[in-house]
Amino acid sequence: MMNLASNLPAFLAFSFLLFSFGIVAALSRKSAIGVFMGVELMLNAAALNFVAFQTLRRGVVENGHWLHGHIFSLFVIILAAIEAAVALAIVLRIFGNRQTIDMDRATELKG
Amino acid sequence: MTIADIFVGACFILGAFGAFFTAFHPNILYAAISLILSLLSVAGLYGALGADFLAAAQLIIYIGGILIVILFAVMMSEDIYKKRFFEGAKKYIWPTIFSGIVFVTLTRVMMQVDWSNGSTPDFEPTSRAMGWALVGPYAVTFQYVAIILLFGLIGAVIIARPAIKMKQRAAEIAVEDNTEEKDA
Repeated sequence: MMNLASNLPAFLAFSFLLFSFGIVAALSRKSAIGVFMGVELMLNAAALNFVAFQTLRRGVVENGHWLHGHIFSLFVIILAAIEAAVALAIVLRIFGNRQTIDMDRATELKG
Repeated sequence: MTIADIFVGACFILGAFGAFFTAFHPNILYAAISLILSLLSVAGLYGALGADFLAAAQLIIYIGGILIVILFAVMMSEDIYKKRFFEGAKKYIWPTIFSGIVFVTLTRVMMQVDWSNGSTPDFEPTSRAMGWALVGPYAVTFQYVAIILLFGLIGAVIIARPAIKMKQRAAEIAVEDNTEEKDA
């Protein structure tokens, strides 16, 4: 507890917490924007894990580039941006078709 | 207890609060603002881990993105101010149990590992090294992500474009053709 800034389990626990709340938001929100925010939260948790492992376990895993984790996090951020573009386009489409973004009412693809 | 520890602890607390309200606040506007808080604290943690470039990228990309999300939420939600806290609490039960199981499982797995011999963050600038890495060992991945981004944006434009109602348009064309024939 005293040494929080270089304490990997604390970072991991925080990102697990973020991930869990992201699951809750993605599964239980009715509005499509809420689901999207949950997915963003989960992606952020994963990206934070990459950087935390890279920085705080550097001496343990010593092979390859010294910025592996940073670059993976950068790619995660880019993919989150793409996901945001496509998700907001789909939300616009659902809204244009039925004047609401309630996910429970978009059931055309239900088997 | 150094100043870095206090900063990291504050980021943990603020981020946890933001994530909680993102998941549980019934008003989608406040949930989006809480999401900003959570993402800001993640950016602060990037900074505390010595990832200065990532902290800046997180700020720039996510603050703009979340502003647009807030815009969408305000535009498309009906009566966002009428709901009360935990009004629709029933739909939260099973997701909360499931995510609690996920959290407990991950934490137990983490507890089983010995994390004692780690390293401390060093605060040298990373942007130059990241630039070299993106054109060096990660050049192919970088191009691949760029192509994915291009196709994703094209797909987003195609999806978001207003639909041309094909049957209606065909009927209009047929009517135009008929009138032309009658005129001739």
